[in-house]
Amino acid sequence: MHGKFDGLGRFADPSLLILTSLADGPKHGYAIMTDITAFSGVGMEPGTLYGALSRLERRGWIRPLAAGERRRPYEITAAGQEVLAEQLRSMQQIVRIARQRTATA
Amino acid sequence: MKPALADRLSRAVVGCYPRRWKQRYAAELLDVLDQHRAGPRTVLSLAGGALSTHLDPDYRMQVRLMPHLSRDAKLGIAIFAVIIVGLPALVILPMIAKDIRESRWEPSSADSVGAIAFSRDQRIMVSATSGPPWEATSTLWDITGQARPRRLSVFEGGSPAAISPDGATVAANAFGGRAQAALWDVTRPRHPVRLAVLSAGLSGALWGEAFSPDGQILAVASTTRLALWDVADPARPRLLRSLAAAPLPSPPGNQGPPVPVGVGQNDLVFSPDGRLLASVSGSDQVSLWDVARPDRATRIATVAGPGDYFAALAFSPRGNLLAGVTYHGSVLVFRVAGPGRPARVAERPGLLASARFPGGGSAQAGPCGGACNFAAAYAVGFTPDGRALTVVIDRPETYPAARDTVFTWQVAGSGDLSGLSTIFRDVNDAQPTLAPGARIVADGALTGGEVHLWTLP
Repeated sequence: MHGKFDGLGRFADPSLLILTSLADGPKHGYAIMTDITAFSGVGMEPGTLYGALSRLERRGWIRPLAAGERRRPYEITAAGQEVLAEQLRSMQQIVRIARQRTATA
Repeated sequence: MKPALADRLSRAVVGCYPRRWKQRYAAELLDVLDQHRAGPRTVLSLAGGALSTHLDPDYRMQVRLMPHLSRDAKLGIAIFAVIIVGLPALVILPMIAKDIRESRWEPSSADSVGAIAFSRDQRIMVSATSGPPWEATSTLWDITGQARPRRLSVFEGGSPAAISPDGATVAANAFGGRAQAALWDVTRPRHPVRLAVLSAGLSGALWGEAFSPDGQILAVASTTRLALWDVADPARPRLLRSLAAAPLPSPPGNQGPPVPVGVGQNDLVFSPDGRLLASVSGSDQVSLWDVARPDRATRIATVAGPGDYFAALAFSPRGNLLAGVTYHGSVLVFRVAGPGRPARVAERPGLLASARFPGGGSAQAGPCGGACNFAAAYAVGFTPDGRALTVVIDRPETYPAARDTVFTWQVAGSGDLSGLSTIFRDVNDAQPTLAPGARIVADGALTGGEVHLWTLP
């Protein structure tokens, strides 16, 4: 499950991808992975995913919901939504400046 | 890297995460691995994750060393320690690494044995612990020297477990799997190799596994399904049939055991000719399956007990009789050969009350006044000539002390039972199993994954 932008995967912050994936509703681990591949082309591996999930949970940006069988869905918290919005503003600024500079280059 | 190898490595790496992390995340991470096609990147990402989690202060033990010493003094001590320890460590570390590699799947001291199975020649035995799916282990034993069983290897995956009659293949609960069995090649018994994971055709939790007498078919029972696999080539198992095996309703007023029913020994058994399969189905009835054509297997009959859950089953050597022992301590014999429905030909109730326990009192005098039946464990088997039936009841009353009570009857041609004899043996174990031939009792320990063998007189 490797996308055409896989080479760029190292530049994509797993936390940002996970928060984006959870922005439209709770998902369990494998659903997050497939969603990220679908919207970003980044094939995130389980080790990376769970490393980031445990960090996000500790920071209070996501929270686990009740597990069904072995699958535990996660949802984004209000703090996580704020962080995501902040990250997106920062990225928009980077995109705007990058566009200006590449246009004048 | 082959996907099967990557998958195996990935699951092994999950086992290397810190214990606290595993308790929280391992089950769901393994669930992701079940669905993910693993490759080298998967293994690397998990190895990186395991390493960084070990370095994470939240998951490693924090110890403040020598807080009263200055930084320079600590540095001096550290350099001295490196010189003193470093050189021997270069020699010792590779040996430790080898030990760790070989003993990674040691059963923990808290693990109780949940399943025991024997090869037909009774040279190889497998025991499996009933711990959580990411910690449970199976142990392969050389029991040719019965007094001193030798542990050959320990590998991942726990109870239930079965071993093929030729002792070449072990089926155990798959590491991390809920209703997944794993097949292991144990032809090199010190170096078991996982061949395949069987997950299709099952749901719920696994409770039973049995190889057919010719070793070609593996029956795997979960709480809701019974699956038959062609394991002639255990590296390429083929699902032949998946059947609904939902527990049948209990009769009114039945006092079922307050433990997961069906979790026991020999609750899924093939007839000696491999044409019938009997399963307890977690109920007060035994299901009989016609598996002469495994791909067209069907339930042909159910036989009822005395309103009580069945705990263990055994076919007679000729396959014409099926004996079952129930949680409330009744033994029943059914005639299952010939035309017509299986018929009950013998019933002996009240074994539990006769099963003595340390202190020598009767069941009614025990601390639970005879209501401790749920804690008892059972095994049943016929002698090779079919003329005697043996039932072992392990009845713990004052933990961890327990007593095995062995009941033996003469079996008439009709299946009727007569001439009861009883012997007792004090044990500290809880899970008795009868080896084929009903001469050797294997008692699974409550702790440490040990098994103790003894021979009936």
